[in-house]
Amino acid sequence: MAVGIFLCFTNAYSQIRVGLENNSQLYADDKKIKLDPVEVEKGRFRSNSYLKVDYDYKNWSFGTQLESYAPNPILNYNPEFSSFDIGTIYARYNNYQKGLDITAGHFYDQFGSGLLFRAWEDRQLGVNNAVFGLNAKYTIGTWGKATVLGGKQRTGMGFDLSKSVLFGADFSVSIDELLDWESHTLNTGFSYLGRKIDDNKDNEGLNNFNSNYAVRADYAVGGFYLGAEYVNKGEDYVSQSGFLIPYAQQKGNALLINSGYFEEGMSIDINLRRIENIQNASEREFVGNEYLTGVLNYVPALTKQYDHSLQNIYVYQAQGSINWLEERSGEIGGQFDFYYEFPKESTLGGTYGTNLAVNGSYWAALKTEMNYDTEQLESKYLNFGEKYYRDFGIEVRKKWSKNWSSIFMYLDQYYNMAAIEGKFEDVNAQILSAETTYQFLENKSVRLEAQHLWADRDKKNWVGGTLEFAYNTNWTLFASDMYNYGNDDKEKRIHYYNAGASFTKGTTRVSASYGRQRGGLLCVGGVCRYVPESAGFSLSLTTNF
Amino acid sequence: MNVFLTLLLFISSFVANAQRNELPSVVLKDIDGKALNIKDLSKEEKPIIINFWATWCGPCLKELSAINDVYDEWQKETGVKLIAVSIDDAKSVKRVKPLVNGKGWDYQVLLDSNHELKRAMNVVNPPFTVVVYKGEIIYKHTGYTQGVEKELYKKVKAAVSK
Repeated sequence: MAVGIFLCFTNAYSQIRVGLENNSQLYADDKKIKLDPVEVEKGRFRSNSYLKVDYDYKNWSFGTQLESYAPNPILNYNPEFSSFDIGTIYARYNNYQKGLDITAGHFYDQFGSGLLFRAWEDRQLGVNNAVFGLNAKYTIGTWGKATVLGGKQRTGMGFDLSKSVLFGADFSVSIDELLDWESHTLNTGFSYLGRKIDDNKDNEGLNNFNSNYAVRADYAVGGFYLGAEYVNKGEDYVSQSGFLIPYAQQKGNALLINSGYFEEGMSIDINLRRIENIQNASEREFVGNEYLTGVLNYVPALTKQYDHSLQNIYVYQAQGSINWLEERSGEIGGQFDFYYEFPKESTLGGTYGTNLAVNGSYWAALKTEMNYDTEQLESKYLNFGEKYYRDFGIEVRKKWSKNWSSIFMYLDQYYNMAAIEGKFEDVNAQILSAETTYQFLENKSVRLEAQHLWADRDKKNWVGGTLEFAYNTNWTLFASDMYNYGNDDKEKRIHYYNAGASFTKGTTRVSASYGRQRGGLLCVGGVCRYVPESAGFSLSLTTNF
Repeated sequence: MNVFLTLLLFISSFVANAQRNELPSVVLKDIDGKALNIKDLSKEEKPIIINFWATWCGPCLKELSAINDVYDEWQKETGVKLIAVSIDDAKSVKRVKPLVNGKGWDYQVLLDSNHELKRAMNVVNPPFTVVVYKGEIIYKHTGYTQGVEKELYKKVKAAVSK
């Protein structure tokens, strides 16, 4: 790599791209929140750093991502992430004219919506399941693309690889490009994923080769669109809490349907999905592990991502795995979104326009029963079982004047905590939130947010607020609080306050804050990780050049 | 390790000033399913703004709405084109089309649901804006606060008037 860097000085066809990110925490005890003694032993200062360097020369690229978790990673990250090591490294030949794109080393990829296969990185979640091997893509004219890949998945640092080998292929065809259609589009695809688990004494005699495939199609004409994806997961042994159940073999499947209609100023979208034993991992025992190690596909909760903190207390997680003991196989349900822009100058629109968004979702278990003759869990296809989650939200965005705008939101949730988190109650919650932003003096703005949550069980009521002040385009200050005043347990009536500042210039951003973090699920892109309650200082730095 | 890191940063920053800043070669699909190679944007004669956003990112929606209000003016004056790259995962990517159409934005919207372009350009937190003129990246900015779009447009105008 050093050689590569020096080559840059003289060569006109090359360039280097560098990205640096650091997230650090210094855990400090306060009156209500104390760090676990086991974690205190490891040290109160935690830091995750990522340095990514890519070097391009004509059609070639070489790059690496160095990761450092020294002295220790932030709380509740995969313990395999330690000290300083290579996270990913690759060499790539990409010739766009010839349609060839080949990568050797660590690569990321996704087939369709990711329900069959997805290799991606999410630093906040601690997910990096890049595959180390070979990925070759070939583009055929303007209508086709074929991908073939193979390798071992990263399960810890860069060269901690899974005890299995993956083979994948994807072929997508744009029928409208192929047949030269004018007014409608039809995209289709077919994918395959095979996994061969290394033989060892624990799985001796078991069938260690597993095949999975998926088909998808998306059609659109004018303002109407309809798409569907079907995934079939080959028969495989069930794993519960990290242990293989060698007499339990189950197949899996998923069906995802998306449709919608739009015209200027109005749109509606519906998503329906049924998943049964669809969660897949590079080794069977990885399914359902808390650090998301070894996940092979992407099974997000199909619910709306909400902006306000109290709306993210009861967050739904997709139930895509088998729970053998509780006889659960999956979930079925859907969500809808409706957007409407009241035209400017109309009664409800006002001078600057008003925007309305209505959304809702409903998720339930499959109707599953154990068939004692075949020793398999069987689920009816269209029947709905126990209700898991339901929500309904209405959001109004209004611009009052050139400098002043507000957002109002009402959200109603039902959350089956017993089924989803293994706790004892189910919760009905209603959240009312409002936010207003006022801009003044060319480059200053103030944002004030207030929210209230009513819940009938669990932690009960909360109230929260945020105040943010942007002094200019570089500096921003903020202070926020979430107060669990309604908790039945007086000791748990805690303020989760936070205050900090951020400085942004060009591509560099530094932010520092002090306060408390509520324990619970941290979800990014519908995939969740549990974070424990903590208090202390946070520092984060990102830059690139 | 820290020594290595500092050394690497020193070398990299030195080198960064002595080399070209071009767009990477990444193929993304737009909301109608048509594929576009980002590197082809280098051939455009007019300035291009590439803006990374997501349906769940509040400041991103504010920025794109603010630019939407003055987009016609900007286009008349400089011919600038804004390409809005959505980094929504498969979870929220289905929301992109209805949201864009519901708001009536005129931008070309690309879908980067496995974050290929985001990684290639080292974008960490959206919004992230890049201005490209005649194949070269002339300005990059992370985050949005009121007034940033004016700074952005100043750079676009300056490039065109040279």
